[in-house]
Amino acid sequence: MPRIQANELNFHIQQSGCGPDAVLIHGLTGDLSIWFLSRLMPVLSETHRVTAYDLRGHGYSDAPAEGYTSSAQAGDLLALLDVLGIERARLVGHSFGAVIAMHAAVLAPERVEALVLSDPYYPALRHLEDMSRWGHWQNFRQEALDAGVNLSVDSWYDLTTFFDQVKHLDEEGLLKFRQAVGLPGWKRVLRLAQTTCGEDAKQVDGLTAELIHAVDCPTLALYGEHSPFLSTGEYLVSRMPNCRSCLVPEAKHRAPEENPEGFRIAVADYLESLQLAEPQGVCS
Amino acid sequence: MNTTAEHSEAELLEALREIFRDGLGIDPISPIEPETRFFADLGLASIDAVVLGEVIQAHFARPLPYEVLMAEIGGRAQRDIAVSELIAFLKTHL
Repeated sequence: MPRIQANELNFHIQQSGCGPDAVLIHGLTGDLSIWFLSRLMPVLSETHRVTAYDLRGHGYSDAPAEGYTSSAQAGDLLALLDVLGIERARLVGHSFGAVIAMHAAVLAPERVEALVLSDPYYPALRHLEDMSRWGHWQNFRQEALDAGVNLSVDSWYDLTTFFDQVKHLDEEGLLKFRQAVGLPGWKRVLRLAQTTCGEDAKQVDGLTAELIHAVDCPTLALYGEHSPFLSTGEYLVSRMPNCRSCLVPEAKHRAPEENPEGFRIAVADYLESLQLAEPQGVCS
Repeated sequence: MNTTAEHSEAELLEALREIFRDGLGIDPISPIEPETRFFADLGLASIDAVVLGEVIQAHFARPLPYEVLMAEIGGRAQRDIAVSELIAFLKTHL
């Protein structure tokens, strides 16, 4: 299993293909397996050198107690690019992975050739979303309810409260629950619950609306047709100078899982539409 | 087990037990059987399946179309895979 050290942490990475660099960034509680399950990794590696990594606290990467804000994790990403010798990359992020990607584009615009933002919600743009509905949380609650778990209405992304509500489940109940809501192995979820991740991810952390407006690399705001965060998608398209939108049919917040083919086609078509700034031909 | 000879299902099961033990640190009290399910019985997650693919390919010292299997698991409602399916995959591609 390829592991590389960056920011004094070990990161699990996977790399394949030749061509311009693309880096895939998964969301909170997920891991890089999503790029294999959705088949985005093998498809993109036909035309790109694709690098996927497990975020800190996730998958097979180290899980320090702190440092889960978008700026800290953008720092991880930029450090990984340094170690891997990647000068400039197309970033594909899902959910909080797309917050990290945006923050990297703010911190180091010269390193980011393009952005594909899959269904993110930005803490600085919180006012855009209907707080009374909390669409994503409502979806999640419904999925949990279908698996027999009635989560409280006010524990959105509060991982500690959230874990307290499911730790009484037996093994079968836990499995049913994590399959229903798309959570990875339980040990890793509990490991993440020991960190500041849940709290950190809610922070604006310097990624203000003004800075988001100024990101001018080619950007795709890719949202599920039934995403709870469509208002954010529309806002990004209206404010960012080089941002266009695309909807993945029959998907809510987790398009890579809910409609992997639609997701894959949207990402691959967009990256194919980009003109290369300079000839590149690097192989992993 | 770096051989191009045909592998019996029993040999592959034994190889997988070794791979799970040495590669993933999975050595359950009741031995892994063909019907053992990756997620439901072994408590593993899809990221473990990615790493398992690497360990399997290193063990048999050859590339296998493992990404096809991963994408297929991704399309399943339960996203689980039984050891017997891994054996069938290896029989087809080794």
